[in-house]
Amino acid sequence: MCGIAGIHAYLDVAPPVDRAELKRINDRMAARGPDGNGLWLSGDGRTGLAHQRLAIIDLSQAGAQPMHSACGRYTITFNGEIYNYRELREGLVTRGYAFRSGSDTEVLLQLYADCGADMVKKLRGMFAFGLWDAEKRTLLLARDALGIKPLYWADDGWTVRFASQAKALLAGGRIGRDPDSAGIVGFHLFGSVPEPFTVWREVHTLPAGTTLTIDASGPQSPKRYYDVAEALAERASARHGDGDGRRLLSDAVRDSVRHHLVADVPVAVFLSAGLDSGALLGTMAALGGQSGAQSVSAVTLAFAEFKGLAVDEAPLAAEVARRYGARHIVRTVDRAEFEADLPAILDAMDLPTIDGINTWFVAKAAHEAGIKVALSGLGADECFGGYPSFADVPRSVHWLRPLSFVPGLGPLVRHGLSAAINAGLRLHPKAAGLLQYGGDWAGAYLLRRSVYMPWELDGLIDPGLVADGLRRLAPLSHIAAALQGARPLGDFDRVAALETALYMRNQLLRDADWAGMSHGVEIRVPYVDPFFLAALPPGDVLARVNAKDAVADVPVPPLPAAVRERRKTGFVTPVGRWLREAAGTPAGDAVDFSAASRSWALRVWRNDWTTPVVA
Amino acid sequence: MTVRILALVGDAFGARGGIARYNRDLFTALASAGAEILVLPRLGDAAGIALPDGVRQRPAMFGKLRFSLVSLWTAWHFRPVDVVFCGHVFMAPLAVLLARLLGARYWLQAHGTDIWNDRRSSVRRAIEAADQVTTVSRGTRQRLLGWVDLAPERVRVLPNTVDERFVPGPALPALRERLMLGAGPILLTVGRLAASERYKGHELIFAALPALRARFPGLVHVVAGDGDDRARLEARAAELAGDAAVRFLGYVPDEELPDLYRLADLFVMPSAEEGFGIVYLEAAACGLRVIGGAGGGSGDAVPDARVGELVDPADLTGLVEAVARLLGQGRVDAAAIEPYRRPHFAAAAGLLLARLMAQPRRMRGAA
Repeated sequence: MCGIAGIHAYLDVAPPVDRAELKRINDRMAARGPDGNGLWLSGDGRTGLAHQRLAIIDLSQAGAQPMHSACGRYTITFNGEIYNYRELREGLVTRGYAFRSGSDTEVLLQLYADCGADMVKKLRGMFAFGLWDAEKRTLLLARDALGIKPLYWADDGWTVRFASQAKALLAGGRIGRDPDSAGIVGFHLFGSVPEPFTVWREVHTLPAGTTLTIDASGPQSPKRYYDVAEALAERASARHGDGDGRRLLSDAVRDSVRHHLVADVPVAVFLSAGLDSGALLGTMAALGGQSGAQSVSAVTLAFAEFKGLAVDEAPLAAEVARRYGARHIVRTVDRAEFEADLPAILDAMDLPTIDGINTWFVAKAAHEAGIKVALSGLGADECFGGYPSFADVPRSVHWLRPLSFVPGLGPLVRHGLSAAINAGLRLHPKAAGLLQYGGDWAGAYLLRRSVYMPWELDGLIDPGLVADGLRRLAPLSHIAAALQGARPLGDFDRVAALETALYMRNQLLRDADWAGMSHGVEIRVPYVDPFFLAALPPGDVLARVNAKDAVADVPVPPLPAAVRERRKTGFVTPVGRWLREAAGTPAGDAVDFSAASRSWALRVWRNDWTTPVVA
Repeated sequence: MTVRILALVGDAFGARGGIARYNRDLFTALASAGAEILVLPRLGDAAGIALPDGVRQRPAMFGKLRFSLVSLWTAWHFRPVDVVFCGHVFMAPLAVLLARLLGARYWLQAHGTDIWNDRRSSVRRAIEAADQVTTVSRGTRQRLLGWVDLAPERVRVLPNTVDERFVPGPALPALRERLMLGAGPILLTVGRLAASERYKGHELIFAALPALRARFPGLVHVVAGDGDDRARLEARAAELAGDAAVRFLGYVPDEELPDLYRLADLFVMPSAEEGFGIVYLEAAACGLRVIGGAGGGSGDAVPDARVGELVDPADLTGLVEAVARLLGQGRVDAAAIEPYRRPHFAAAAGLLLARLMAQPRRMRGAA
């Protein structure tokens, strides 16, 4: 888990790599690499790679990057962790490859030498890397299947540049800040910028599960090697009885946690009062107990405002920590600290987003406690059906689809209801679009997940930009693409595919990256793993066995009953209220995160992301 | 297997101008890589010109309807066609139609002002249908991607190449004498004097001349090129710089340009909208330092300080200072121009064709 960057002047007329530019890009990511940094330029000066190191596996200098293969042909800069690197290494050794270090990075070099770009399909882990092949003169950029590690790239037609952070590319000074209407509209619709867009026209996200090869003619078309909907369809074709379901789920969680503990430093866990992180801790404790390791550190975020109230998660988290013998660290955050950190949060925020604040503080707490690596329960709701969308979206589609065939009815109702809401009807503004959007999967999902709906944008940002952005992004087609190409999916898997390929990827994982890395903390996500997803039973079985509840039974002993009970009351944080007040909207006693996110989105956008400042 | 290319162009062989020259260079390079090219121009007369092996050019047809109908007829008889090449956005809708009818890949070439000015949505769609777009400069590419929705990797840059004639050499005293230029430093501008191309910046240079002549006695500005704006520019030169400061040479044939570049001390054209500016490159290839205009694609012909500088086309003082600075810097390092020479251009063109051919015939049967 580090920061990576590179510049490759692929066209003959392009000037050689400017070392100072590469250094500026790399320096902008200094928080990602507290344990060292490196910069390498090829002999002809036309390729340069850079690295910021957070040492987790092979802490010695042998693990430093950019790393070269023994033959000198390959050079890599790599961000992430490969959890199955020992298995891969053994396989390579039997095929005659020799290793000089104990790092997973070297395994990547040798694996590429063995099977080329297809190597990515064998990797279990989170990764983004740039790999230079001096003989073929190609640069391979790759990103993990589900998009845990970010990778941004820019191509001016002569030279390609890449980095772990979009803002780092801008810091190099050669890439313009012209706004990208698609990314800006996407942010206002979804609360995060949908890949492959950023808010800058010249900077692109390399999509999750994709490789990009740059040769002498420039970047080729990005090649997708993993698709969530395809993977879920394949999983659905394997039939399992419900009895098998719980066992498969338990086995899958244990296997994933075991893989995610591979490290040469202690691995902690972010612990809430919820099932997902509790199940991680319980599983870690059992695995640690088997190996005789020390107790696990568990970090819980608490809020000063909630002290002594039922909504405070700390007491229940403490009970879970006690149950599994964890060293429990409770970090209390108050509003003053939030306000003090806000400028740093907005600076670290790599792309505009309405989330990431909680992760910022829990990572900060982990850093203060000397923790470098922590597991997070992120992704469990996507694979176990923990969101209300798993019920709401299919219901909406099944009920409203017949009405969606009546021409003009949806827009008519929307106009009427919008007018009524503006006149004081107490409904959420999005409710006006129920008939127009609710009858198909993409529309119903947009309605469920959106911060603002398309018809509201003209009042927020420049209407010309909105029109251009809606045309370029085509939000409904963008959402529908997450379901395309697959065999038909059941209701559960459809929502799982949408949440995994859109919300989790563009919002949760991106936020976990910048918020965690700002404090030099690697966040590992055992529920976000293609091998884990494939090992779970099909979606319809998960739905029937109540997967969300079944997670509580994975550890031995299982999670306390109070944790299961609490799930039904929901979770509350004061962050929504802080955000709303920070955005300049007074909040009442009730904490309405949806309303808060709307005003917060506007506050975030006013932070001068592009030049010229848009609207 | 021979790749068969049908090329719709404004002009190519038997025509003047930067775009015609670019098309000739490109077709020559592709033919040398084994392609068979049939060129359908709207202007130019290639009769009597020896075309490269593998290239044929039909007589020019200017009328839009006639050009379209003849193109359809010719294309049908040229089957099988692997690639429809479109050398001007103006013809893009026809190229889309032909590519679809023929099941061919569609390669669009964009130069500069051609895609900057016409912003109709029908033109945008015709550009977006391309399997590959090439531009002469990074600036043109960036402006194109700011308007059309094309995957960035599908828009490639193939910069102009510079002809082998443009190499450093001695300045001919006889030429200086013939042109009656005196002994002072010579600033040179080469470009069309068209009312539609006033962005080239002649008037800014005229305005800078009094200050420059005060610092460099005997300095003269030589203007090569002709066009419908010449009379007005001559009047402006006299008004801004006096009669003796500017020499208008009119049109200078290509074969005489190298000696003119070798004679000059600095090439100056602070153009605001150059698509690429082949003249910058030709001047530099002859060893002449260059001042170009920031904006447009000039940055690609003047990539770094080894070649010259870019100035703000509205900044008179900046221009005066840049001229003063560069006049003392001697000739351009030939290595800086080497990547623009023909072998590099031909290799890059060949790679682009191979890249396009690696794509499926995505247009076939498309609506």
